[in-house]
Order: sequence, then structure tokens, then C-alpha cells
Amino acid sequence: MAEIKLTLKKKPEFPLEADSITPDNFSGKSIDDIKALEVYIGNQTAKLEDYFEVKGDTGEADDLKIKIDGDLSNVKRIGQEMTTGEIEIDGDVGMHLGNQMKGGKITVNGNADDWAGAMLEGGEIIIKGDTGHYTGAAYRGFWKGMQDGVIRVEGKIGNEAMLWARNSKGANKWPTLYCGEAGSFLGIHNHGGTIVVEGNVDRCCGADQAWGTIVVKGSISTKLPSYKKVGEVNGVELPNGDKIKGKFVEYSGDHSVRKETKGRLFIAA
Amino acid sequence: MATRKIKTVYDVVCPFCGTLCDDLEVDVEIATDKVVEVRNACQIGTAKYYSSNPSPHRYEKPMIRKDGKLTEASWDEAIEKAADILTAAKRPLLYGFSSTECEAQGKGVELAEILGSILDNTASVCHGPTLLAEQDVGVPTSTLGEYKNRADLVIFWGSNPVHAHPRHLGRYSEFIRGYFRKDGRNDRYVVVVDPRNTHTAQIADMWINVNPNEDYELMNAIRAVLRGIDLDDENVAGVPKDKIYELVDLVKKCNYGVIFFGMGLTQTLSHHRNIDTAVCMTRELNDHTKFLITPMRGHYNVSGANTVFTWNTGYAYSIDFSRGYPRYNPGEFSSVPLLMNDEVDASLIVASDPASNFPQDSVRNMFKHPLIAIEPHETPTSAFADVVLPAAIAGIECDGTAYRMDHVPLRLRKVKDAPGECLTDKEILERLIKKVKEKLGEK
Repeated sequence: MAEIKLTLKKKPEFPLEADSITPDNFSGKSIDDIKALEVYIGNQTAKLEDYFEVKGDTGEADDLKIKIDGDLSNVKRIGQEMTTGEIEIDGDVGMHLGNQMKGGKITVNGNADDWAGAMLEGGEIIIKGDTGHYTGAAYRGFWKGMQDGVIRVEGKIGNEAMLWARNSKGANKWPTLYCGEAGSFLGIHNHGGTIVVEGNVDRCCGADQAWGTIVVKGSISTKLPSYKKVGEVNGVELPNGDKIKGKFVEYSGDHSVRKETKGRLFIAA
Repeated sequence: MATRKIKTVYDVVCPFCGTLCDDLEVDVEIATDKVVEVRNACQIGTAKYYSSNPSPHRYEKPMIRKDGKLTEASWDEAIEKAADILTAAKRPLLYGFSSTECEAQGKGVELAEILGSILDNTASVCHGPTLLAEQDVGVPTSTLGEYKNRADLVIFWGSNPVHAHPRHLGRYSEFIRGYFRKDGRNDRYVVVVDPRNTHTAQIADMWINVNPNEDYELMNAIRAVLRGIDLDDENVAGVPKDKIYELVDLVKKCNYGVIFFGMGLTQTLSHHRNIDTAVCMTRELNDHTKFLITPMRGHYNVSGANTVFTWNTGYAYSIDFSRGYPRYNPGEFSSVPLLMNDEVDASLIVASDPASNFPQDSVRNMFKHPLIAIEPHETPTSAFADVVLPAAIAGIECDGTAYRMDHVPLRLRKVKDAPGECLTDKEILERLIKKVKEKLGEK
């Protein structure tokens, strides 16, 4: 696999929008062409080489790995709409990481800011640290958020993760989020997303869920009044085939959306 | 005894709150051009008219900061300095606009596009969450006249119009006689949902004492009960189960209900999700009866700012032109987070006073960088500005268009002339646009 290494030269004074950093954009380009790709800072346009050192071997997108080093907490939109290849980031990363990504893999050995994996359509995002709010969420006003793919966050995620997630049984698409802990309004307006939380979740979990599955292995600070207890179960099978072991209390909801619902919330017994 | 010659201007639209009362009568003494009497307005509206009279706090000439002190300058000098600041900035912010008229707001959009700046209005710290929720789930709403003539159940949720919109109750929602509500107050049942026993709650028929920050849970429970679900919990958000059933029974039985909501929903813990669920609840109530919902907008023309920005850019607030086309993302492009992260390197504040309302850290960051204020009076913001451009007060010293809280456009009236060298917000922004274009070499 060809590998291109980007090293941040200096922390940008304003957020740097680097949506040009994707394997698709680097595909088949020489190092000099990659250095000349555009990035945006404030109302100015700059070149990738103004902020990054670029080294390595070029190749085709599906055989390309981009490795990025440095404190990227002020660099936004890395991996936007990527379809293939791989990105690995050593350090924290800014907003909109891998938004609208369709395929490939992103690994972050650090934290990610808000909107990581927003409106994900495929591929996999692995974040070793925490993420901000709206992880895997729909952008403002969209009724279809994350539609496929997997996000794995080892740490805590912020509020309103998986907002308006939407599965498709016919197309075999199962948007899935695994995380360590979660903030409030996890899986709000969920339409078929699957969420597994290793630890605790803040208030209003599964608010307005039409259908979908949320599994919480820890506890919830306050359960919404519109969720009704169904019974106790031993293990949960997720729609994507994964099996979660353990004893859970099964709740149906959100009943504020409809009286009979396939939405399920499992909380560790 | 000398006679005092007075002119009276009738049917004046009040430029204070979103109720936009349009029945004011203003007396102006001709010799001195002073407002001497305001009839029909509430105390706050009256005070705004009197504020246009000569005072030491009024700017009458442009000012530029020289050697740390604001000193008087000519319009040409001030516009030149302002244009220099704006064109040198990489991430300028244009903020305010809600207390001026629509024509000036339109010019603000034009300037933002030329500069590639951030464009924001006061909705971002006020009813911005309402707009976010409306984009997610829509909004069933109507004009205030409909409510006046038809509503027999009025719910004030997290809003206190007795103090914030004093004439709303008398003109539209509580005491007024309507076509189908001939007996006024006696024909309406008024419910207030608020953690505090506000003055609005004290004159209501029912007060629901919800726990602070738990409005979402309460509405969620109401929605479940509306779906025919029996609640497991005995008590939701501090409200007993029986009270929730009583309220649901009440709202289902009314002929025409309306929810007016304010900052108590938009600026408490769940922010836009409170409005999201309130809108869904209103929508579901229409399975049983007629029900609508309307935000109690604060600034008199904040609806106008949202409307003008939307027809120009597609978005109501928190707009970023840095890449040449408008993008929208509150939280990323709204004023407070940008200033908190120190991402703004110059600000132009139009008809607003963020220094009094924004969090301290963001104000501190705003003052670190060049600041231009278009403002009639001295405010905590303009006192720290590098350039002050004195403006005529829209709706008093110049005419223009404003949108009421229910999006009805009304024509503001000019009742007197502006003092000194004051220009209207629109003229000031036009001069700035011309100068900025010159500097950027655009036509």
C-alpha cells in the first residue's frame, strides 16, 4: 500500500478547511500536485504545502494510505466525501472529520471535534479518544443522516449523536455506532440506526426514535417517560448480526412518535 | 403665554419588541423636534421614543479612536478607516441587524458577501434554536390576528409577556375581544408553563410548575399520553401524572389552541430540542383539534433579519461567506463560539450591543481586535469600538420595513429628523460597501 505522510508545519491561526485531504483527491497525483492542492483559511485560499510537509509515495486511491501528524484540532473536513483508501491521524482532529464519507477507513489516535462522521454513507471511522457533539449526525435540516457504515469511538461522545440516522433493509444498510460513553439526546429522531454504548448515557436517550436499536451497557441518567418496559432479555442480537451478551431490561419507544413501535432501548439490568 | 406647536403622527409602528404594535400616536414639538408625548405604547416602547431626544449618550458625529480615545472625525475619514479594517481582516464578523429595518439588513448581506465574512444576527443568542427546530420538523403557525379572533386556549410556555411583550396580551392573546371570542378574557382559557410563578402565571387559569430544564421530558410525556400511552412514572419533571392527564384533556377539548413560547424553552438545557418536541406535540394535537405554535420574538425586527437573510442566502443566521458562497452551521459559524475560540479578527456590529449580552470571554476576544459600531447611542460595545458610525434610529428617525413575530411585514414611520450628522443604517452600509469595493478593486 502506497503511503503519503503529511506533517503539520504550524498550527493555523484560524480553522483550516482541508477537504482536499482525501485518498480520492490524492489519487494518481504527483507529490508536487498534492502540495498545490487548495486549502481554505478565513476568507483566503492557500496551498496544502503552506501548512503541511508532504512526503511519500503516490498511488491509486484504493491502494493509498494518508498518514497525518501534528495537532490538527484546528483543521476541519479531513476525509470529506472520501470513497476509498485510508487515513490515519496521529493527534487530535477538528470538526467534520470524514463527513459524508462513502467508503474507506479513517483512524484517529486522539480526539475528534464535532460532526465526526456526519451523514456517513459507508466506510469505517475509528476514534481512539473522545468525539464532540453530533457524531454521525445529520446536518441541519436533513431528514436522512448516517445511512450506512460504522463509527467506533473508544471514549465519550457528545450530544445528539446519530441524529436522524436512517437504515435501509432492502439495500442492507445498517448505520452503526459503538462508543464508550454518550452525552444527551443519543440517537434522537433515530430511524433504524444501531447504537451500542459500553458505559453510561446522559438524559433523553432515544428521544423521538421511530425505529432502531440502542443498547446501553451502563446506566441512563434519566429515562424518558415515553419509553415503556417490555421485559428482561438475556443478550441482544443487533440487526447487523452482532450479538451483545449480558442481561438487559428491554424498553419500547419512543411512544411519543407512535403507539406501536419497533424502536428498542436495552439498558443493563 | 406662548403656544407650543406640536405635530402628531398617527398609526406609528413601535420599534421595540416583536409584537410591533401599530397603533401608536406620537407628539413631536415642532420648534425643537423633540418627542413630547407617546400614546398607546407600553412603558418600554414609550421610553424608546423618548431616547431619541437630545442626550449626552447620543452620537451625533462619526468617531475614530486616536491615541486610545474616541475623537470626532468626518464621515469620509470614518468610512475609510472602517473599510481598511474590514478589508484587512481574514475572518471578519458582521453581527446585529435585529433592531434595524429590512433595507439595511439587505445591505448587510451584500457587504458580507463582498468581504467573505461571517454574517449573524441576534437570533443566534435568542430564538436561533427555534429556527433549528423548524428546519428539522417544520412549524404549524399562523398570524396573530387569527389567534385573536379564534383561540380559546392559550398556552404560554417559558415566556412572560407581561414583562417582555407587555401589549401582546391586550392586543392578541388574552384580554382582547375577537370575532369568535366576543367576551375577551372570559372566552379564553390561559395556561402558563414556567418554573417560576411569573406575573403572566398569576393572571392565568392554570399554572404548571415544571422543573427547570425539564420541559423536554414534560412535553415528551404529554405526547405519549396523546398517543394513548399510560405513563409508568407518577411524576414527570415535577408535574404529577394526574395534572398531565388533566392538561391533555384540556388541550384535546379546546376548539382552537395556541402555544406561545419564549427564552424559557430556547435557552434552557435542551435548547432546539425543546422546540422540536413542542412542534411535534402541536402537530399531533391537530389529530384532535386545531392547534398552532408561535415563538415570542424579542427584537422588533429579528424576524425581518431572519427573513431578509433567508431570501438572500437561503439561511436565517450564522452564515459564513468565507468560501464565496453562503454556508450555514450554528455552533460553528455563530458569533459566540467564534468569539470564544478567538476566530474573529475584526467585527462590525450593527444596531446591537453584544458586550452586554455575550459571555465575558467572547466579549474580551472581540475587544482584542478592531471593532466598528454602527449605533445611535453609547453602549458598552460602542464605548470600546475603534470606529463609531452614528445612526438614525430606525422607526423613529427613518422609515423602513419590519417583520412582526408572526412574519407580517409592517412599514415603520419616521416621526422626526435624526440629530447632527447621523445617517440611516442603510446609507452607512451603502457608503461602506462602496468604499470596500473601491479598496478591493471591484466594480
